[in-house]
Amino acid sequence: MANTSSNGTKGNAETDFGFQRVSKEEHSGLVAGVFDSVADRYDLMNDLMSGGLHRIWKQSLIDWIKPRPTTRLVDVAGGTGDVTFRFLERLNDLTNDQRPQIATICDPNAAMLQVARERALDKGYVGDIEFLEAPAEALPLPDRSADVCTISFGLRNVTDRAAGLAEMHRILEIGGHFLCLEFSPAIVPVLAPLYEAYSDRILPWLGEHIAGDREAYEYLVESIRRFPEPDALATEMAAAGFKNIKCRSMSGGIVAIHSGWRV
Amino acid sequence: MTAKSTVDPKLLEILVCPVTKQALRYDEDAQELISEAAGLAYPIRDGIPIMLADEARPLEGDQKSD
Repeated sequence: MANTSSNGTKGNAETDFGFQRVSKEEHSGLVAGVFDSVADRYDLMNDLMSGGLHRIWKQSLIDWIKPRPTTRLVDVAGGTGDVTFRFLERLNDLTNDQRPQIATICDPNAAMLQVARERALDKGYVGDIEFLEAPAEALPLPDRSADVCTISFGLRNVTDRAAGLAEMHRILEIGGHFLCLEFSPAIVPVLAPLYEAYSDRILPWLGEHIAGDREAYEYLVESIRRFPEPDALATEMAAAGFKNIKCRSMSGGIVAIHSGWRV
Repeated sequence: MTAKSTVDPKLLEILVCPVTKQALRYDEDAQELISEAAGLAYPIRDGIPIMLADEARPLEGDQKSD
């Protein structure tokens, strides 16, 4: 993944789509297909796949952010809005009548953003969130315009990861905090056989029978195995300019929160 | 959710062109965000700015007034 430009390289450069090698242009299209297909069932699938654990992982992410009413959040690959809603809910707990800053959800997929906006309407958050259809690699936001930038279960799907990390660094204010919540291939050995069996058999079955798309969830499994281990990701984050990089593993290494700062 | 929602103009002011990172001009009638530098018009659909260069409309070559 070296030698990438911030404009999203075109041409014949290849990247991973699960275990297949595909061109970068094809990759974006394939990922879009996955999310078009599963957008309606995405939240239900998260609960079923993780046995509800994803809620705890996301709460841990919010704990680490320590939201304040003045925090400008940009949630990249924000999908159906889960992290942004939790962020705003936390602020509701903290503030009396002080309105929080407007949070921004960026996602390259229109179907996922539609689900996010419907959920925002249901929750009464529609005026608190700005929705932008945009990929991580080319964010339509000015330099130093965010205090916190999150990407949750999204970095795995970013076609040009180096460009995405550089963009998320660019939009952060000096002193701004980047947090990436993501599945990790660094499972503790004692869990590994069980997790592998679960990934190879149960996840694709759930994908087929609940989300109606087995291949989308086979892609999920493969993309997790392809994702860099925490140390390798820390190196990529450092290359994008992040400092004071830390990683917190959860649930036996199934997921990790990667944290870095713009200084 | 059939009503066409609009975007708060204040929010639009902070957006930049994803290609050039320069300011955009909001064309309320056309529901587009214009990047003169990139020669692209980004559509706003159902209140969501579509900030993808691939989906933007190339601007005509002729000069615009002001």
